[in-house]
Amino acid sequence: MKAIKKYIIKSIYAFFTILFLILFGCQDFLDVDEPNGEITPELVFNDEVTANASVSTLYTKLRDETLITGRLNGLSILMGFYTDELDFYGQSGNDIEYFYTHQILPENNILSSVWNSSYNLIFQCNAIIEGLENSHNITESTKNQLLGETIFVRSLVYFYLTNLFGDIPYTTTTDYKINMNLGRTNKDIIYNTIIEDLLDAHSKLNSEYPSGERVRANRYVVSALLSRVFLYNEKWQEANYYSSEVINNTELYNLETDLSEEFLVESSSAILQLKSQQQNLVTHEAGNFIFEYGPPFMIGLSSHIALDFETGDLRKQYWVREINEGDQTWYMCNKYKRFDLNNSPKEYSIVFRLSEQYLIRAEARLKLGNLNGAATDINQIRNRAGLSSVSLTDNLDAILVQERKSELFCEHGHRWFDLKRWGNAQEILSPIKSNWRETDILLPLPQNELELNPNLLPQNPGY
Amino acid sequence: MKNISKQKNSGWIPNQSILKIKLCVFLIATFLIQAQTYTFGQQQRITLSLENKPVSELIDRIEDETPYRFMYLSDEVDTQRKVHVKVQNATVEQLLDLVFKDTPIDYSIVEKQIILTRKKQVPTTTTPPPPRTNVLREQDPVTGTVSDAEGPISGVVVTIKGTDISTLTDENGFFTLEASRGDTLVFTYPAYETLEQMVGNELNFTIKMTEAITEISEVVVNAGYYQVKDKERTGSIYRITSEEIEKQPVNNVLGALEGRIPGVEVTPTTGIAGGGFKVRIRGQNSIDAGNEPLYIIDGVPYSMESLSSYRLSMEILPQFNINPLNTLDAQSIESIEVLKDADATAIYGSRGANGVILINTKKGKPGKTKFSVDASTSIISVTKFMELLNTEQYLEMRKHAFENDGINLYPETAYDINGTWDKNRYTDWQKELAGGTAINQNIRISVSGGNQQTKFNLGGSFMKETTIFPGSYNYKNTSVFANIAHNSKNENFGMHFSFQYGLDSNNLPDSDPFRTALSLAPNAPELFDVNGELNWENSTWTNPLASLKGSYSNKSRNLIANGILTFKLIKGIKFKTNLGYTISDLDELRLIPHTIHNPAYGLTSENSNSFHSNGQRESWIIEPQLDVFRQLGKGKINLSIGGTFEKQNHKQLEILAIGYPSNLLIGQLISASQLTILGDLNNHYNYIAGYTRLNYNYDNKYIFNLTGRRDGSSRFGSNNRFANFGAIGAAWVFSEENFLTEISWLNFGKLRASFGTTGNDQIGDYQYLRTFSVSNVSYDGNIGILPTRLFNPDYGWEKNKKTEVALELSFFKNRINLETAYYDNRSDNLLLGMPLPGTTGFPYINSNLDATVKNTGWEFNLQTLNINNSNFNWRTILSLTFSKNELVSFDGLEESTYANRFAIGHSLNITKLFNYTGINPQTGVFEFEDYNGDGIISPPYDNQYIADLSPKMMGSLSNSIEYKGWSIDFMFQYIKKQAYNEYRRFQYAGALSNQPIGVLNNWSEANPNAKYQTLTSGKNYEAFLAHSRFNSSTGVISDASFLRLKTASISYKVKIDHNINCTLFLQGQNLLTFTKFKGGDPERNTDYLPPLKRLLIGAKVEF
Repeated sequence: MKAIKKYIIKSIYAFFTILFLILFGCQDFLDVDEPNGEITPELVFNDEVTANASVSTLYTKLRDETLITGRLNGLSILMGFYTDELDFYGQSGNDIEYFYTHQILPENNILSSVWNSSYNLIFQCNAIIEGLENSHNITESTKNQLLGETIFVRSLVYFYLTNLFGDIPYTTTTDYKINMNLGRTNKDIIYNTIIEDLLDAHSKLNSEYPSGERVRANRYVVSALLSRVFLYNEKWQEANYYSSEVINNTELYNLETDLSEEFLVESSSAILQLKSQQQNLVTHEAGNFIFEYGPPFMIGLSSHIALDFETGDLRKQYWVREINEGDQTWYMCNKYKRFDLNNSPKEYSIVFRLSEQYLIRAEARLKLGNLNGAATDINQIRNRAGLSSVSLTDNLDAILVQERKSELFCEHGHRWFDLKRWGNAQEILSPIKSNWRETDILLPLPQNELELNPNLLPQNPGY
Repeated sequence: MKNISKQKNSGWIPNQSILKIKLCVFLIATFLIQAQTYTFGQQQRITLSLENKPVSELIDRIEDETPYRFMYLSDEVDTQRKVHVKVQNATVEQLLDLVFKDTPIDYSIVEKQIILTRKKQVPTTTTPPPPRTNVLREQDPVTGTVSDAEGPISGVVVTIKGTDISTLTDENGFFTLEASRGDTLVFTYPAYETLEQMVGNELNFTIKMTEAITEISEVVVNAGYYQVKDKERTGSIYRITSEEIEKQPVNNVLGALEGRIPGVEVTPTTGIAGGGFKVRIRGQNSIDAGNEPLYIIDGVPYSMESLSSYRLSMEILPQFNINPLNTLDAQSIESIEVLKDADATAIYGSRGANGVILINTKKGKPGKTKFSVDASTSIISVTKFMELLNTEQYLEMRKHAFENDGINLYPETAYDINGTWDKNRYTDWQKELAGGTAINQNIRISVSGGNQQTKFNLGGSFMKETTIFPGSYNYKNTSVFANIAHNSKNENFGMHFSFQYGLDSNNLPDSDPFRTALSLAPNAPELFDVNGELNWENSTWTNPLASLKGSYSNKSRNLIANGILTFKLIKGIKFKTNLGYTISDLDELRLIPHTIHNPAYGLTSENSNSFHSNGQRESWIIEPQLDVFRQLGKGKINLSIGGTFEKQNHKQLEILAIGYPSNLLIGQLISASQLTILGDLNNHYNYIAGYTRLNYNYDNKYIFNLTGRRDGSSRFGSNNRFANFGAIGAAWVFSEENFLTEISWLNFGKLRASFGTTGNDQIGDYQYLRTFSVSNVSYDGNIGILPTRLFNPDYGWEKNKKTEVALELSFFKNRINLETAYYDNRSDNLLLGMPLPGTTGFPYINSNLDATVKNTGWEFNLQTLNINNSNFNWRTILSLTFSKNELVSFDGLEESTYANRFAIGHSLNITKLFNYTGINPQTGVFEFEDYNGDGIISPPYDNQYIADLSPKMMGSLSNSIEYKGWSIDFMFQYIKKQAYNEYRRFQYAGALSNQPIGVLNNWSEANPNAKYQTLTSGKNYEAFLAHSRFNSSTGVISDASFLRLKTASISYKVKIDHNINCTLFLQGQNLLTFTKFKGGDPERNTDYLPPLKRLLIGAKVEF
């Protein structure tokens, strides 16, 4: 009996000992495998394939989510509604409709998606820059190319943001403790930083595209953005210089003679395109702009664009389509045509194309007093559209305004940014937008941002 | 055990009857010695108290504390019979007299042997006839049957009053006895009310016995790792039994808790079958981490996290919440215990902060094998529609809005009023899209039974419920369960095994049409054109039935298996292991054929797509535990110590398939043009813990309970994995004090208090890791790689300190029972996803916040037995909760990203609103308080009004009445709160959208005292802006208190013969609602289908 008792007491002690050993000696039990599909930054940036993939993901975001996307929250559509380019036919009470009716409130959800997706992309750029700077396993040339592309993408996003919102927070780090309290930086300083960054990117990139197609940035893509940034800042010499750099590279870039081929994958006008996810997909632009029967389900091209082409302008013939039903007519922006997957050639969304560089140089030359050069550039565009050449006696300023409108309509908000920088938004829009107010020149900052970060206050005037 | 173990082995005492020869010898010896009982040991005195314990335990105790040893034949003596004895300093004989009086057992004491034998059948001829007053009376054989609500009872002692003549009922409850007219028969049975019956002309009796009311104090509640008598518990544990659950027409057992438990808020997230529930025990503790209680089913922790993917179910099931308990048949639940305070929950450590819900399934009971079959049908419909404008009113409003802005030419897109649509059409869209009647059919079968050693219960059910939407949608549930328990005769070894398996399928429309029903213009076009095709009215509207072309369906399988092994190592020491395994699997499919879109888009099946998701969660748990029991004089010590090892694995695969050659093939992945993997998740969660409980009970008067736990969780970074939790509880049963035992009206009084800490780790897996993720979108031949999240390696546990003081009282023979509790729970080190401005790149980061949240409240539970006799029985339960949630402190709130969401001294459930002050008499536009006095109403300066939308008071009153075979139950639920009213979700008048009828009373010069501002097409920017401000102002908050007849049931029991019971029942839920609220269902008003009204009719047969 005694022996049994002893044995039992012993086993109780053993139980406790084992229990405590397992519980507190063996913390290994709590070590879990890493989750599927997650890699530490150290690994990502010490391998060329993954580092390269992380940079190419930036373009995915541009294509599908951020600012220049052809989706509904992209500037082509939102700012098209905001100006005289597009008419809204969708369901009433839609947050997109308020861009059309100029009733954007700071609570507008589309507005915050524009803001948030932009800063998410900036974060991604900053994370890549940090990762690449700490990387030791990638060749210097690859590192330069990847850094150059990343800096370019970040500059592109800041360029649009400051144009839309004015003074904005400028972040260069992934540290949320810093980013969450950032105040707004003056837009002139932002422009200076963008220019510095772009010059840095320009020096890091070379003239070849990273892959065969024109779907990632090379040095000329940076030049194209630089010329636009200088144009917006009225630095005519520099704008002239960088647009010329692109235009003069005739080995790579030539204006497509056939307007119907301007937006195809092989277009020689293309400077930067966003490649589709899969070969058989249509561009987001085609998906949103094209309709077969009237009325359009949301987006129709406004008569202010469709009926404002010079007689004989081939761009109206090739890039605008009419839908008739009974006595009603609707128009659509038909730059991207590929909707029927089987019978049409492939298209990619275009971010930069050569015509804009000609128009930038023409404008810069005008301001610099080089009327001859300006006219030559304008005529490149006009002749291609089947229009007669201009002469130096014509009102070149007015013609340039019209050419930018007819050439660049429905592309990434060009129209709005032009009206804004030329100072004639009020004049053009107040007659057609009943709710137009002068303060509409800037969009409001999203309400949620102001609430989460009071350093962003005050709100832009008028909201 | 000592030397007695030899004798036990010899076959006398419980199990191993090996030595049958010895047994015979003893038998003979017994008979020989029976006559001359020695009185040895009369001086041996004993003090003990056993409540509702088996005779076997009494025997053990006597053997432990005295030199006496028992001998008996196990098939003669029912050692499982429960006894209730309490003696002080009694002799063993006195004790045995007490225990075996009125039972079929005789005892005799031979030296140190106590021999138990069965009494000879009575009436015994050996007993001399007692003196009678009326000796000349002829004796008649009196017969009868004794039963209770469940059926016949065997072993009832029937005695003729004043005599020794008695007999026992047999297994059919039958007895026969020689008695004379005028005799009184006395029926006694342990734990039942003793009955008396006079013998008159009638010689055949049907006796119905009812359980004694002392039952309430004898209830044993499950506290998870241990069991405790309700009377002796130190913690706050509320118990709901199958009786209450069975009377409610619910699909999910959580629905049966609605409104019933003080301090517990249960709200369904949708009226669609197969949806989710929101459960809060004593309020919201955490700002952003999970606030869900811990669920434990038969000892196995069960994750309530929905396996659904938001991409698939978001549009139809709110918060993509699919409650995994849906697969469990509510009627297979025996009881639910809700653990609320620190004393009860601290043993669950890091997962106890939000309370614990223990679900126990029905177990078999010894006795006759019982079959039960029931079937029911329910009719289900919406409780209440909102009052919206009809066509005439609506067009008037629209016209007015344009007129006010001087617009004569209606915009091209104002189809409702510019003549595009028929102005004379009227459709009540709520009726059209959500006005149907759903049918629920249910059938269930179960078998249970067993003997003292082995018990079993198995069963299954099938249920089908359609929806109130147009179209044929349904939810089906099939479930089976089985459990079996076995213990050795000596009870030294026990095992229990149970499993629950459920199979659900749900076929639903792609999105909840309820929202659309509220906003569609009343003169919107016809649904179908002349050809019976969906009508798109020349692309001027989105046909609400188009979304029904899309579909959402799911199939889920849930298995919960559990095994418990117990060994009694030596007297007072027990080893137990709890083993559990669960696997849940949810397959979802969302089909979006191109036909969901307007044909004008010119889409083909190449634009059809489908979403596929498969979520799987698997977990296992091992919990070894050692229980030690020791009696020290008047004190009892219970010590439990154990450990938990748990692993959980969550996998989720989501696929998007785009483009099909034909819609016939939609959903067949192999025929899709393009497949995208949207998510491929494989998360691991490991958990380890050691726990202990020390309970000291002195004389059933003073009880102390200490619990502790050390937890480690893989959800935290390596520096913060472990944390300690613990609690102390104490109870004083003051009614046991000598100075109170004299008071006859006070039957029971207990004061208890507890204090302790628990934790919360509901923050998701891996959140401390800094990583890049591989994404599904590729670019230019490269896979996508992008930062996963903002990471914080340092966040740690959220701690919740709970304090409770409670008073339990029973009066007047336990007819009135009142439990009052006050609690104070404080959470700090709050774990949360702190919202961040977009500039950080992500919407939030997980971190600990130096803030404290306090939940305090009073809970009252009054249970009364108003009437109690054999025919008529009426019970009432009144439950009241007054609770308060408060953010006590928050370091740097004003500078933080929460500045506009919370306010110190207020509930977490607040919203900051503009303070609506009225309508400007000049402009007719809404006006608001200008808090900063800058002349402009703008956030965040002027939305400073703090509105609290959490319930202030919750209460319920339930009544249960039994009269003969009838049983009537009903419960009223009352909640006092505020909520967003009917104006919250509506557009301004310029938008093509219907509105609540309140807008008819709009401002104009002719109607200056209007309730609603001047109508605008949107051109009046001031009014447009004011409308938007109004939507976030006090103007959209109303009192949403309501009184609701939550459940009602009537049932009637018909006895077909004494073996077959048939019950017919009628049950209802949400039958009547009394409220002033106009914004839809007051219990839950969102864009989704609110809780529905159900009426059930059914029948149950038991044999």
